[in-house]
Amino acid sequence: MIEIEHLSKRYGDTIVVDDVSFTVGEGEIAVVVGTSGAGKSTLLRMINRLVAPDAGRVLIDGQDTTTVPEDELRHRIGYVIQGYGLFPHRTVAENIGTVPRLLGWDRRRIAARVEELLDLFQLEPSEFAQKFPHQLSGGQQQRVGVARALAAKPALLLMDEPFGSLDPVIRGKAQDDLLTIQRRLGTTIVLVTHDMNEAFHLGDRIAVMDQARLLQYAKPADLLTHPAEAFVEQLVGTAERPFRLLSLVTVKDAMEPGSAEGEPIIVTATLRDALARLIWRGLPALPVADASGAPIGRISVDGILKHGRASLS
Amino acid sequence: MSARAVILRIAALLLLVAFVTAPQLFAFAFAPLTANNAPAIYNQGSLLALTLSHLRIVVLATLASTILAVALGIFVTRPAGREFLPLSRSLVNIGQTFPPIAVLAIAVPLVGFGEKPTFIALFLYGLLPIFENTLAGLTEVSPRTLDAARGMGMNARQRLWQVELPLALPVILAGIRLSVIISLGTATIGSTVAAKGLGEVIIAGLQSNNVAFILQGGLVVALLAVLIHDGLGLAERAAARRLGRPLDEIA
Repeated sequence: MIEIEHLSKRYGDTIVVDDVSFTVGEGEIAVVVGTSGAGKSTLLRMINRLVAPDAGRVLIDGQDTTTVPEDELRHRIGYVIQGYGLFPHRTVAENIGTVPRLLGWDRRRIAARVEELLDLFQLEPSEFAQKFPHQLSGGQQQRVGVARALAAKPALLLMDEPFGSLDPVIRGKAQDDLLTIQRRLGTTIVLVTHDMNEAFHLGDRIAVMDQARLLQYAKPADLLTHPAEAFVEQLVGTAERPFRLLSLVTVKDAMEPGSAEGEPIIVTATLRDALARLIWRGLPALPVADASGAPIGRISVDGILKHGRASLS
Repeated sequence: MSARAVILRIAALLLLVAFVTAPQLFAFAFAPLTANNAPAIYNQGSLLALTLSHLRIVVLATLASTILAVALGIFVTRPAGREFLPLSRSLVNIGQTFPPIAVLAIAVPLVGFGEKPTFIALFLYGLLPIFENTLAGLTEVSPRTLDAARGMGMNARQRLWQVELPLALPVILAGIRLSVIISLGTATIGSTVAAKGLGEVIIAGLQSNNVAFILQGGLVVALLAVLIHDGLGLAERAAARRLGRPLDEIA
């Protein structure tokens, strides 16, 4: 659990982070979102003490981070930045093994861990271990960057615009992969982005920042239904709101008994996807299938609309 | 390097070795350049011994310049040394603006004749390229890479040895190469103050108006310079390859 208590930072006369507090639960993803210059990155960098706060403190599992030596603290916190900062003179395997090597793991243990991570990130070890970063595509570099951050099994992962330099097609896939891996490992993540879609896609909770202040910290649905300030409302996009809400709910919640004609949709898909499919196919309803493909009910346009209206009220 | 270029280098190396070990074999080529029955091949000492002592002083002086220049380059790029950057720059620049001959003139009364004044002149002259390249190499390291290194918990020393210096190495090596090549040529004037070196051959030629001698001294220095230049170039490329950079990025 990460507790951020009254963190503040100023550079000269400019306040960059102004009295920000929030708590991230074990295994949760907290997304800090806001316009550029809102203080998101500085806030993130105060968690691993790359930036020293002027006031306030950060507790990780109840322990004040200032009681741990800086470098030791950072060995325990994964860190991924935009552009990844991979070491160009080191192979993929050496890059991923950076923190374990700093921690003095023996070679065999490092090699085993590197292979495990390459497998996890769908990078064939025999093909990728000895490559240099410049020989990788953007998406592969991104995966190596995250694998490197996870190498020493940190309980906390900090990510600063980790998908910022990927093109939109790869970005969606990379976000899904991150979610899968995060659910499997149970890592707590604090992620900074300016992309609202990314925030809603990934966040268990979303922190909205503007001009150094934290405006609202809430679950995505609450952010939509009860925006704390006009700025939050504007940022989440008034017109986009119902669609965003639909993207937070899965088919399971609006499923009706019965059957329908057409290609079935999987029960874990979002209502937004289901509605999109219904509109595109021009159908009033679609059959719903579980993970094994067996039909378990149907989803209709009316049902989705009703659900959308209901959650707004 | 193409196969032709490699063969050319090997041929040059063989020619150099053959010439300094058995110069008499080449007498036929130099005889037409002499007049009044003057000797065609330098006969006041062993060419091999002169070549070796020439190389020795160049290597020693460059080694000393490298140690000081790289150490200084590292120091002024650390937070603690940043304010010394302008001062170090001017000092090193002064080393370069003094003509080596002037340094010799000043150094001889202080340290006497022989290798010492030559060493001082070469040492001062060699500092600038290495220092500037060390600076360039270290400041070119991407801030993102350094941020990532810091964020992963590398301390200042680990960042220097594991990230900054390996990344700057090809550029630093280029500076050393430049410095060695300058020194190889400059070392010939050391013979004016009685340092053993290939300058002796050239000076003997000038004094006795013997073009063959001048040409021999110049030829050996030139061959050395070409071969060492290429050899160090190979080392740079090997270092750059370890960086995973495409080879053509390093000129």
